Amino acid sequence: MNIKMNPLLPESDAREAALFFVVAALCFLAVLATLVARGTYTAAEAWTAQVEGEMTVLVSDTDRRGAETAAGLIEELPGVERAHVLTDDELDELLSPSFGPGGIPDGIPLPLLIAVDAEGDTTALAAEIDTTLAEAGIAGRADTHSAYAAEVREALGTLRIAAIGTVLLLTMTAISVIAFATHAALLARKDIVDVLHLAGAEDRFIARLFERRFWLLGLKAGAAGSVAALAVTAIIVFSAQSSSAPSELLPKLSLDQWDLIILAVSPIAGALAARIAARVTVGRSLRSSL
Amino acid sequence: MTQAGAPLATEPAVELNGVSLRYDTADDVLTDIDIRLKPGTFNFLTGPSGAGKSSLLKLLYLAHAPTSGEVRLFGQRTADMSRNQLSALRRRIGVVFQDFRLLDHLTAFENVALPLRVSGEKPEDYRDEVVDLVRWVGLGERIHAFPPALSGGEQQRLAIARALINKPDILIADEPTGNVDPDMARRIFRLFIELNRRLNTTVIIATHDMHIIREFKAPVLKLQDGLLYADTAYEQA
Repeated sequence: MNIKMNPLLPESDAREAALFFVVAALCFLAVLATLVARGTYTAAEAWTAQVEGEMTVLVSDTDRRGAETAAGLIEELPGVERAHVLTDDELDELLSPSFGPGGIPDGIPLPLLIAVDAEGDTTALAAEIDTTLAEAGIAGRADTHSAYAAEVREALGTLRIAAIGTVLLLTMTAISVIAFATHAALLARKDIVDVLHLAGAEDRFIARLFERRFWLLGLKAGAAGSVAALAVTAIIVFSAQSSSAPSELLPKLSLDQWDLIILAVSPIAGALAARIAARVTVGRSLRSSL
Repeated sequence: MTQAGAPLATEPAVELNGVSLRYDTADDVLTDIDIRLKPGTFNFLTGPSGAGKSSLLKLLYLAHAPTSGEVRLFGQRTADMSRNQLSALRRRIGVVFQDFRLLDHLTAFENVALPLRVSGEKPEDYRDEVVDLVRWVGLGERIHAFPPALSGGEQQRLAIARALINKPDILIADEPTGNVDPDMARRIFRLFIELNRRLNTTVIIATHDMHIIREFKAPVLKLQDGLLYADTAYEQA
């Protein structure tokens, strides 16, 4: 005689199919939000680091040769990687947002700007540049972009809080939905729970049935959501890489090892949340009876 | 009086002292009930519909706690027991529900094996025992059938087999012959008598079938309007 037993809880029904879809969708959104938030943050961090590592020196009362001399003096200072006087084309490109596609009108005097790539504390370096230029008799002032970078940093902090908040909200929503669904499943199968209870099953035994069911459901739905998020991310990465004009400020979705860890961990986290929600809900429900 | 099998212990198997039961804010369903049943006795519980028979049985098979008074089973006060101890106690009680409460997604074999399965026993260990019991209740040919495919009488016998598989110390049956013809009712009662004789099980059967009560000659507990009037002798039923 075959003694393979049917599960004590019936196979999944339409309610669980709907729950599967909801959990998969929430997991998809949570993973995508996490990846996008991480990518955006990575891009913004890189961009800020670049801004903070650059300085602009405005020289006046001199010609281009004097500016070249000043750039040479600056380049000799410790901590300076490169200093060069911006060409007319570079200035044109730099100022084009202010003047539009027609470029800078003829007759407008262009400032002489030296772009400095630096490492370390740019504030101290700026003071040193100002002193060096003054000693050489060149009128010039170094701008570290610090005020601008501070604004970017503040915006980044807000972005980080928003990203964490979004992920937390989606996670809490997923847990709440699972808890609600578990409660509904428990009510729908109250007849089975009652029979098991009166047959002498301990609370732990009954809770474990629901835990196992929702753990597996959470794992499968979470995996489906993660795979969908992986597909969408791959499409975005592919589109960004094939784009001729990628923007520095677009999220840097790279699918590196951390992204893959997020994709792998999310279904497990979703399933764990489902399991804990099931345990708490079933436990609470059973304790309300004798 | 059919009281087969001498009691093995002096401690009552079932003892209710001053028990009352009330659901929510309604009036008492049971009022100040006192019962003492010795181990190995066979008892009928009777009374008109709404008298509180099912409620009294629910107190006995630990589905409800009394609103007041105390329930003692095998000398243990149930109110003092932990949830796991109550679960262990439930495993010593077999219940035949009025509506059978079979699980439709489990086979006849699995339904009968349910109390053993929830106790953590392995199928290999109880397979033969379950098969024997299913045959004993005349369902050997239907052992792989699911309850919806069984007749009312077959479902009844399956529910009885499930109640007996643990060799319970107490068997409680709520109107166990309510849905079967008289011949089947007699067969079922003979099954209970046999159980009572063979295993010294304390049997409590709620019924309002006076023909059965007279035929099987057992003590009668009579409930009316939530009150237990007396341990009435079967001759007076």
